[in-house]
Amino acid sequence: MIGEALKGHLDLLLLSVLAEGPAHGYAVIESLRQHSSGLFDLPEGTVYPALHRLEEQGLLRSRWQEDSPHRKRVYHLTAKGEETLAKRQAEWQRFSKAINATVGIK
Amino acid sequence: MNRTRIQSYLLALRRELWIRGLIDAESLSEIKSHLLEAVEQNVKRGLSKDEAELEALARFGNVKTIASAFERERIDLVQKILFALAVLTGLFIAYVDSRPTWDDSGITAGAILLSSGLITLLGFRRPWLIALAIGLWMPLYETVTSHNFKFPGVILFPLVILLIATVGAYAGWAARLGIRKTCHLA
Repeated sequence: MIGEALKGHLDLLLLSVLAEGPAHGYAVIESLRQHSSGLFDLPEGTVYPALHRLEEQGLLRSRWQEDSPHRKRVYHLTAKGEETLAKRQAEWQRFSKAINATVGIK
Repeated sequence: MNRTRIQSYLLALRRELWIRGLIDAESLSEIKSHLLEAVEQNVKRGLSKDEAELEALARFGNVKTIASAFERERIDLVQKILFALAVLTGLFIAYVDSRPTWDDSGITAGAILLSSGLITLLGFRRPWLIALAIGLWMPLYETVTSHNFKFPGVILFPLVILLIATVGAYAGWAARLGIRKTCHLA
């Protein structure tokens, strides 16, 4: 159930992780898992189509890094991605504040 | 042997993506890199290579789930392109049919049938929408230019054209399902 809830906010989570610095898919997923204290339990492979979509939307850019044992596709946030992240963070803040107020969490 | 398990997974995923018209060498290369790194990390955590690989694959998700995720994310663009193609085809058929020198209803009907079928065969998921996108323009043009709003012509002509487009669209859709099923069984 928590996995499903996270899925609805995957874009925000991915943009937030990449705001910390460029990373390849595996590192992004590891970071998601660590930040969510292990609650991120979506099949890891489902993150890649979302990363590709965000890249198509111009929010991320990727380049292949060849200087490691395995070729890695490293993603980084674009200026548009940063703007979108700021907007989504503000939306999330309003949303979570409203939910907290409704369910009685201060 | 371990390498073969990853390769088998990638081959199965490749096939699933191919069936959905989503084959992409870069994505597969990226997924391969992810799986190899996951195996390495699992081995570092103390798992045997066999266990490490099984866990990496289990965490990544089964091929159908992953291929479906790719399909969901890419559906918009592919579907928009196919829909635009259908509208353009419908407009082109209506234009050709409206020419005074054009007098071959059989070819027009065949073109509507074939184009509707082809676009759903290429992967459009809503055959009824393709039937509308292709079959709507000709009767619309005909009705507007002839000012013939009398019953039953105003209803029958569009119905016949839309019926032809619908038959074509669902035939293409059924053919695509058949191809997918055959590929799954193969």
